[in-house]
Amino acid sequence: MSQRWSNLLVWVGTIAFVVFVSVSAWAGNPINSTTLTNMLVLALPLAGIYAMAASGLVVVYTTTGIFNFAQGAIGMFFAYVDWELTVHHHLPQALVLPLVVLVAAPLFGVLLDRTIMRQLVGKPLVVQLMVTVGIMFALIGIANMIWNQNDAHSLPPLFAGRGFHIGQVLLTWHRFITILAAVALAIGLRILLFRTRIGIAMRAVVDNRDLAALGGARSARLSGFAWALGCSLAALAGILIAPETADMSITVLTFLIISAFSAAVVGRLRSLPLTYLGAFILALATQWVGSFLKFSDRWTNVPDALPTIMLFIVLLLLPRAQIQFARINAIRRMERVSSVRDTAIGMGVFLVFMILVAAFVLSSTDPTNTNRLALGMCTALLALSLVPLTGWAGQVSLAPLAFAGIGAVAYARLGGAHGSIWAVFLAALVTIPVGALLAFPALRLQGLYLALATLAFATMVEEVFYSQPFAVGPGERPVDAVHIFGVDFSNPKAFLVLITAVFGICAVGVIALRRSAFGRRLVAMRDSEAASVTVGVNIFETKLVVFSLSAAIAGFAGAFFAMNFGTLNSSQGFETIAGLPVVLALVIGGVGFVAGALFAGVFGFGTMWIQDNWHISLWTALFYLAPGLAVLGIIQNPSGAVVPIGEGFARLLPWRKDAKKEYEELMAANAEPEVGRLGLERAFTESDVLEIDRTLGISNDVPLPEPVAGA
Amino acid sequence: MTLLEVVGVSVQFGGLLAVDDATLDVPEGCVTGLIGPNGAGKTTLFNVITGLQPPTRGQILLGGVDVTRKRPYRRARLGIARTFQRLEAFGSLTAHENVMVALEMRRRWAKSRYDCSKLADELLARVGIAQVSDTRVDALPTGSARLVELARALATDPKVLLLDEPSSGLDEQETDAMAVLLHELTADGLAVLLVEHDMPLVMEACTYISVLDFGRVIAQGTPVEIQADPSVQRAYLGTAKEAS
Repeated sequence: MSQRWSNLLVWVGTIAFVVFVSVSAWAGNPINSTTLTNMLVLALPLAGIYAMAASGLVVVYTTTGIFNFAQGAIGMFFAYVDWELTVHHHLPQALVLPLVVLVAAPLFGVLLDRTIMRQLVGKPLVVQLMVTVGIMFALIGIANMIWNQNDAHSLPPLFAGRGFHIGQVLLTWHRFITILAAVALAIGLRILLFRTRIGIAMRAVVDNRDLAALGGARSARLSGFAWALGCSLAALAGILIAPETADMSITVLTFLIISAFSAAVVGRLRSLPLTYLGAFILALATQWVGSFLKFSDRWTNVPDALPTIMLFIVLLLLPRAQIQFARINAIRRMERVSSVRDTAIGMGVFLVFMILVAAFVLSSTDPTNTNRLALGMCTALLALSLVPLTGWAGQVSLAPLAFAGIGAVAYARLGGAHGSIWAVFLAALVTIPVGALLAFPALRLQGLYLALATLAFATMVEEVFYSQPFAVGPGERPVDAVHIFGVDFSNPKAFLVLITAVFGICAVGVIALRRSAFGRRLVAMRDSEAASVTVGVNIFETKLVVFSLSAAIAGFAGAFFAMNFGTLNSSQGFETIAGLPVVLALVIGGVGFVAGALFAGVFGFGTMWIQDNWHISLWTALFYLAPGLAVLGIIQNPSGAVVPIGEGFARLLPWRKDAKKEYEELMAANAEPEVGRLGLERAFTESDVLEIDRTLGISNDVPLPEPVAGA
Repeated sequence: MTLLEVVGVSVQFGGLLAVDDATLDVPEGCVTGLIGPNGAGKTTLFNVITGLQPPTRGQILLGGVDVTRKRPYRRARLGIARTFQRLEAFGSLTAHENVMVALEMRRRWAKSRYDCSKLADELLARVGIAQVSDTRVDALPTGSARLVELARALATDPKVLLLDEPSSGLDEQETDAMAVLLHELTADGLAVLLVEHDMPLVMEACTYISVLDFGRVIAQGTPVEIQADPSVQRAYLGTAKEAS
């Protein structure tokens, strides 16, 4: 379908959707100058906040290439810092606000850049995304640790909520200042980007990073500046929005600013004027829904899904991405694919181990740990669904848990209430078309945009799907564990063994797939789309199959999640936000490895176990902090933790001499200098020169040929 | 007989006309050279022929059939194969697997039966890199990786083969082997379009040569005619007036 027709379709669909929703949910308020002014007066400051947060995202993304999921969390964190100083320590806001926004936040940004972000250049997209997701969780954790959420926190608005009237509508000074700040920011950024040296350098980096570096732009300094600016804008947005929220809920603050994603995407993550337009449209839509529409029953959560619905629509309007050529700076991936036989043996040994654990270690009276371990294995199975999709085909999906949720509902509705074995397979089958549906945006969108589309999709499933009567609806739906040939697996230990066996079988299947022609095609497509089409690979068909497959595994896992939970209700277990740690844990483990999925499961079990067994008040914090800290591990080891673990393990086995030799070779290979950056980002050292000599075969012992006299 | 025809193709990138009304014929059974200074639009033209870059105007005909609106993978299945100037090998696969991917695709679409693994070994041997068959392509030197791309392109059993600077990264011996290989391939009836900066190789291997400058075809003819053409000399060396 041509671009023009598909855009027309999206526009017509959007307008029809808006009209339909407005008519069906009309609250009956009159439309007159008072209500409209009121809407506008509410929308403008909100637009200002979205614009600030989104501008921060855009500045960081364009200059450094990193999309900052933690933008909202940074804003939340500094809103709390502001609260601490003004409310708790009674310092005047006039002093604190500039201090936080102009000093503390930029310093934090520079620190973030120096310690973490700079290491991410050239790393795979999923690693970059998950590192910022980890930072988001870490900040949520730290905030929980410092500011006990059982106490009330509230930040008073500027000028104590006084204001002036426009007609009959009160515009507070706080909101007026928010609008002014957004306008001033727009002007300031314009001057910065077009009139100052550093701004022009930033724009040059946007157009072509390598070329700008050759022209003398110091990308390291620029990225530090961009992060400082981004964090500063996040802090300003956070402090200005905090008084508008009821009790400064950490999660509400974090996710309010995530709404800014859709505004930033309207500007295609480059254009600030369009970002402002996006922020305005989003705020207007939010206030339109808030002022004139009313949602109840199964549609109650629709307003919460609004920013993501807008995000999805905007993504569908983006121009179709060109066929991708290979990335020059792509890092070398260490990818050992174990043989089907080795995987089968490994999984068999693991199953025996789990049976022994179930028989001798786990308590027979208290099933808590058994259930947790089973939940960990369900998580591992879910993470496995991303191994072919994200690990091998390179398609980043942030929606695995949404597919699991659909699978869980399908299981509960199609026979899972009395443990029918067919329901398990139906759960996988039902999710396939949904996964296939996501392949359509995947054909048009690349990389980050696809990841955002999956995130929007997951949120829409969460807010709209589960509450439908045909899905879960109000109340609870009972789920029974599956019966296979008359064996009832509702015993927790039996279930644990079952899910372990299921994981093992799926793992062997996935490895067999990787070693097949289709598996090679997936990796080929990831390494170079351009080259794979020129040998006849149909990209669409390949993406369709891998998305469907991934959805099927996730849906399958969903059935087991449902069995583990015992009942389903519309607000439990499958939130988008709960899906991110699964992806994060998989990336930490190693997104291209079956063992990475197992690692994710064990990681999940570990955090749950610690959470309940360390009875210290810091724990809620640590629950978030753990994935945050694990981020540092990703940076050290972007291929995944299972690589060194696996190699270290293999080296210990006396019959694996090859592993030891391979390890030594790897260490030698890693000692190579990064030639591309030498001389550009750091000076040559003595050892670099020696290393280059060695590589070129010019040893110091061999004298260079004397120049010929007279030449 | 002419196998591939490029008819009046233009490509516009914003204000830049990268290819300007280019027309050229690639006959079967011989090597056609496409030369020109850097930035003349040679690679862009390759992208248009293989479908990676839609042209602003113009047509691509393969065996007299218009393929301008066909997707890249369809054109590959119709017999257009290429290598890339900037390497586009499947870096995390071995040389053998790189060729396997292409062979397995062809086995599906052509519904033919053959042993992919054995054929991959033969192709790697033919381009002279059998010894690195099981090495990951990321770890290979550029020259060998280029030969992997060549083997991969040959694996699609093409009618037309587009080679984008195949000799860069090759040493003298390998370049000579390349020239021999080109002769063998064209003897089998393959049409080759060669972009190359190594002039001795171009003059030795090509039957016809087209010269591209600022997106326009400024000269066409046999190697002898091209060497004598004053406009070609101007394009490469500049005029006396510009030089002063």
